[in-house]
Amino acid sequence: MTYSDTIRRVWDENLLYSALVELTYRCNLDCYFCYNDTGLKGVPLAYAQYVRFFEDLRDMGTLDLTLTGGEPLAHPEFFALGRQAREFGFVVRVKSNAHALRGKLARRMKDEVDPFLIEVSLHGASPETHDRQTRVPGSFARLVGNLREARALGLRIKLNSPMTLWNEHEIEAMYALADDLGAHVDFDPLITRRDNGDAEPQQIGPSREGIARLFQHQRERGATLRAKFPSPAMASAKVGIEPPATGREKHCGAGSSSITVDPFGNVYPCVQWRRRIGNLHDESITTLWRHSDELTEVRRLASEVKAAVDGHQAPDMGFCPGSAELETGSPTQIYPAIKVIRDMRKRVPAG
Amino acid sequence: MIESTTVFRKCSDARYRNIGGEGIVVRQTAGEVLVLNEVGVRVLDLLAKGGTVDSVVEAVAADYEVDAATAERDVIAYAQELVEAGVIETLSA
Repeated sequence: MTYSDTIRRVWDENLLYSALVELTYRCNLDCYFCYNDTGLKGVPLAYAQYVRFFEDLRDMGTLDLTLTGGEPLAHPEFFALGRQAREFGFVVRVKSNAHALRGKLARRMKDEVDPFLIEVSLHGASPETHDRQTRVPGSFARLVGNLREARALGLRIKLNSPMTLWNEHEIEAMYALADDLGAHVDFDPLITRRDNGDAEPQQIGPSREGIARLFQHQRERGATLRAKFPSPAMASAKVGIEPPATGREKHCGAGSSSITVDPFGNVYPCVQWRRRIGNLHDESITTLWRHSDELTEVRRLASEVKAAVDGHQAPDMGFCPGSAELETGSPTQIYPAIKVIRDMRKRVPAG
Repeated sequence: MIESTTVFRKCSDARYRNIGGEGIVVRQTAGEVLVLNEVGVRVLDLLAKGGTVDSVVEAVAADYEVDAATAERDVIAYAQELVEAGVIETLSA
């Protein structure tokens, strides 16, 4: 019995393992390609509703709880909710831009929320590049300082980097910066539309050459790491505990093991697949999870997607049914960015 | 030394859930995951709720139809493993 076996069961048996909660769309940065639909209207969930929701999740056996935004620290009750999540025994993750994660707030994050991981976006290896994307002067210098402070407090940091035309020339330097900060970094070469369908962010999607350059650097870096850490156990220990993609029947765990909730209580299969399956103002997550027809359809589609992606010879290319649906209207349709990734992967095979 | 009256609590660093009859334990600081089988997560549930070793032995013997001596030996050995893995800690003896 391994962790992979358990995750496979979670997918196959529709056990709600992880929930991602967008607490607010307010943010202290102004990233050009932010995917949030900031025009979305609704009644924000109140603190008591969040607590009831967390209780339901706990009782359903959910282990992973991610607090995100917008910028989650901009929610006035972030710390109360974080403390509650900790008390309920979740493995808490926080997705933050870390712009406010300093001094007292950083200390409170460690002492009160004690997250397993804080995921932070890195947009470049220089102020010129990073600040261009965040559109807040000084955000790069502040980020690097805050990350060093967070690390000193014992907070575990992972960096996520949406790869763009503007930062693709700094890939190697961003890896070097991540190493210097003692943090793992993941690059995402797929810039998605906004959740409302707006394609403007894709104007700065990375070039084909940029993606090939990323793959080439990852290949070289992988070879170096393998030489340094020949044991697979040591290599995986560097990465953390991301659930491996191991489903037999389904392409991913969207709607089968995971859900996303927006600030107004709308529930979706995952952060990317914004097919609304209900609202927590109207129904509990327990009821939705068991009885939502929309969710049943999403689970059926997750199997269909797996067959389609295998047929397109595009496994491991980062295919996302949510992006596919947004781009093409069908969750099983290969979309242009995946074709580019597939072509570049042929040019630069994984090491 | 673990005795029949020993009481435990879950270490604050450890988070776990019973997921469809299996236990997933995350040791936060180490970034490690342990997977427990059905009996393992049942014992952890009982120990983490503050039951004495005696009470856990009684429950396990009843649930799995084993004799008390076998259940006691296995529960104590398993509790020791959980202590060494940093999942539970002794509250009193």
